[in-house]
Amino acid sequence: MPERTPNIDRSILVFTIWGSLGFLGLGIFLESLARDTWAISAVGVAVIVAAFAAHIVVNAIHGTGFTRGEAALGIGIYGVLGLVFMAGALAGGMTSADYYAGLTLFGTLAIGLLAYLVTRHGLRGAFSQFHVRAADTAARRGA
Amino acid sequence: MAWLPLYLLFWAAVTLYWARVAAVANGGHQTWFSAGHSLPAWVSALVVAGASVSGWVALAVPAEIGAGGFSRPALLQAGIVLALPGVLFFKRLWLIGQRLRLSSQGELLRAYWESEFLVAVSATIAVVFAIAFSGLQLRELSQIAATLSGGDISAEGAAIVLGFILVGYVVIGGMRAVGYLGAIQAALAVAALVGLAAFALIATGGFAGLNAGLQAVATEAGGKLSVAGVIQFTAGIGREAAASHEGTAVASLSLAMALLGVQASPVVLKVVLSTRTPRGIAAGQTWVMAGAFGLAVALLAAVVGAAGYSDPGLAVSGLLARLSPWFAAWVFVGILCGTQLLAGLALLTAAEALVRTLYKPWFHGNLSRRGTVTLAQIAVVLLAVASVLMQALTPVTLSVLGAVALPLASQMITPLLGMTWACWFTRPAVVTGVGFGIAGVLMTEPLGHAVLSFLGLDLPWGRWPWTIHSAAWGLVLNLVVTVLISAFTQRRGFGPEAEEARRFLSETLRLSPRARALRATAWSVALCWAFFAVGPGLVFGNFAFGLPGGTWALGMPSQWAWGLLFWIFGLGLVWFLSYKMEMASPHTTAIPPYEPPARLRRDTPVKERERLRALVLTAAIGFALFVLTAISFGN
Repeated sequence: MPERTPNIDRSILVFTIWGSLGFLGLGIFLESLARDTWAISAVGVAVIVAAFAAHIVVNAIHGTGFTRGEAALGIGIYGVLGLVFMAGALAGGMTSADYYAGLTLFGTLAIGLLAYLVTRHGLRGAFSQFHVRAADTAARRGA
Repeated sequence: MAWLPLYLLFWAAVTLYWARVAAVANGGHQTWFSAGHSLPAWVSALVVAGASVSGWVALAVPAEIGAGGFSRPALLQAGIVLALPGVLFFKRLWLIGQRLRLSSQGELLRAYWESEFLVAVSATIAVVFAIAFSGLQLRELSQIAATLSGGDISAEGAAIVLGFILVGYVVIGGMRAVGYLGAIQAALAVAALVGLAAFALIATGGFAGLNAGLQAVATEAGGKLSVAGVIQFTAGIGREAAASHEGTAVASLSLAMALLGVQASPVVLKVVLSTRTPRGIAAGQTWVMAGAFGLAVALLAAVVGAAGYSDPGLAVSGLLARLSPWFAAWVFVGILCGTQLLAGLALLTAAEALVRTLYKPWFHGNLSRRGTVTLAQIAVVLLAVASVLMQALTPVTLSVLGAVALPLASQMITPLLGMTWACWFTRPAVVTGVGFGIAGVLMTEPLGHAVLSFLGLDLPWGRWPWTIHSAAWGLVLNLVVTVLISAFTQRRGFGPEAEEARRFLSETLRLSPRARALRATAWSVALCWAFFAVGPGLVFGNFAFGLPGGTWALGMPSQWAWGLLFWIFGLGLVWFLSYKMEMASPHTTAIPPYEPPARLRRDTPVKERERLRALVLTAAIGFALFVLTAISFGN
């Protein structure tokens, strides 16, 4: 009983990428905070960026983009970690290595996301991903 | 430590997600057993390789090397040795399975050999894999979890949690969940091994530091960086100690024969028969199994093992305890993935063998499909409970049982060989051969010794006499008996399914002239590789790149370098056999199902009741005889 399983294939690859590279990158990043060394955090961020790139390659192979769930999860985690980072910075208990490690992570991911959106949708299209016009919403409701 | 529970919780959520995906795709119970024979080829390749090495590559190989150095270099060739049965059998068995519409080893054996004995042996092997072989790995992981948590989690508690995660996804998603998750698990297990090897190198001061440590203990370790001659005629472990150590070249060869059992087992064959197409077999066996996973064993697992050999504090559990908690948790989950991959597959295969292959045809022919799946799900739970209970209550029995899993599975090579290549093997020969093989295994393993001793018979030899692994004792007996009896029973015919399978294979798989011309080369190359990589030629590896106590030409022990060199040659061998000899090469034409000749339906309920009565009577008489013998002669 043959059946089409392209999304399953893609999902398996995505889980594999983030389970191996993603968690390895997270571990290295946490190690940098524990050892208070910025260079290690840069390696961790590089591994996370590699996971991000591998995810995009898998998307390209399957001719698709990020799913709504993936986008929501990614932006959610980014937001929560960003809040934790800001709270830590405001509380004042961070060392300079911690501070630069956080900036490297969030800065790189933000630039990476923008670069992805621009290359995938173009400048105007990237803006449209976030800009929802009232007319569009009304049209969707009408439909 | 919060990281380990956190990672485990995340992993449990992942397994449940995939179980749900699989359950939806299964359409309830319709394709629970075999995923509708629709597993993608690349998923199958990863699952086969992952299940073949399982948690064994990160737990047992480093432990073996940590304790015995490089005295059994066949371990370094595990990737190649594990791949060879797949190259030989998978393509042909998939074709037979597809033609006869069969989905398990038990069904294949029943259809081809018409032997309920072989079916029962296959089911027993699956159960031993599910309860004991996987149980041993889960037990070791549970103990590591207890160590990592600093005693906050008990080993028993960890075993129960890990068992719950495992049973959850197998019961809900069946083969499809095992397949989908298996691909992820295989990749994560290798990633964890890469991490573990990197941490071992960091802990020992890099590759040079690791080998300096090995050099320091090379002279004082009783020569465990080399093999102890070709063979030693000792009475076996527990009876007579070998000179220097037990790791002879023949011990390595016989260990390799045990490893052949993994891909001849019903467990791994289940994945192959659930795959949509055989197009990925050659690539999977060559590049995934022998290549990537082979390198993982020969290099990465060996690095971890060598670290433990030079400093016992750097054994896997010690190494994990030294890591930061987030890394320890990540590596732990990776090793868990490898272990769960095999355990989940073994549970499913064993449950299917017990319910669908044994119970239903023998005792309950009109059991519905839904009823069969429900019973199999109950069997999965019961087998997992038995495994967890044995881990906690009877670890010695679990270990003794686990030790016979591979040797028993390697006895299935003869019937599989008869189905695929040696068509002159006859039914009585194969059945008797497997019987002798099992006897050979049991009489050279503690399990057989314990049973016979209980009955009052003490064998004059110990475990693995002449430093030969029980798998080899069994396999040699098995092959000799099969060949001899086949020679005398050539007039016996085969059943219609077997005749159809033979006709179909001979018509479908015609060797190209080029492959036919390369036959002699293939035999020569394969035998040469076996002689030098895992056989008597290993003695040359003792000094080829420097003596254990002297200067090492490649900066590493000679046997290790020899192992890596022959891993490269072995990869070439697997590639040559798979592609050039067309043993596993892609097959693309559609296979129409076989239409069996119409037969009259027999009155099955009456026969089933008779069988049940006979089974109960035989079991009662057997039990009574066993107790009487034990009371009369036992100790």
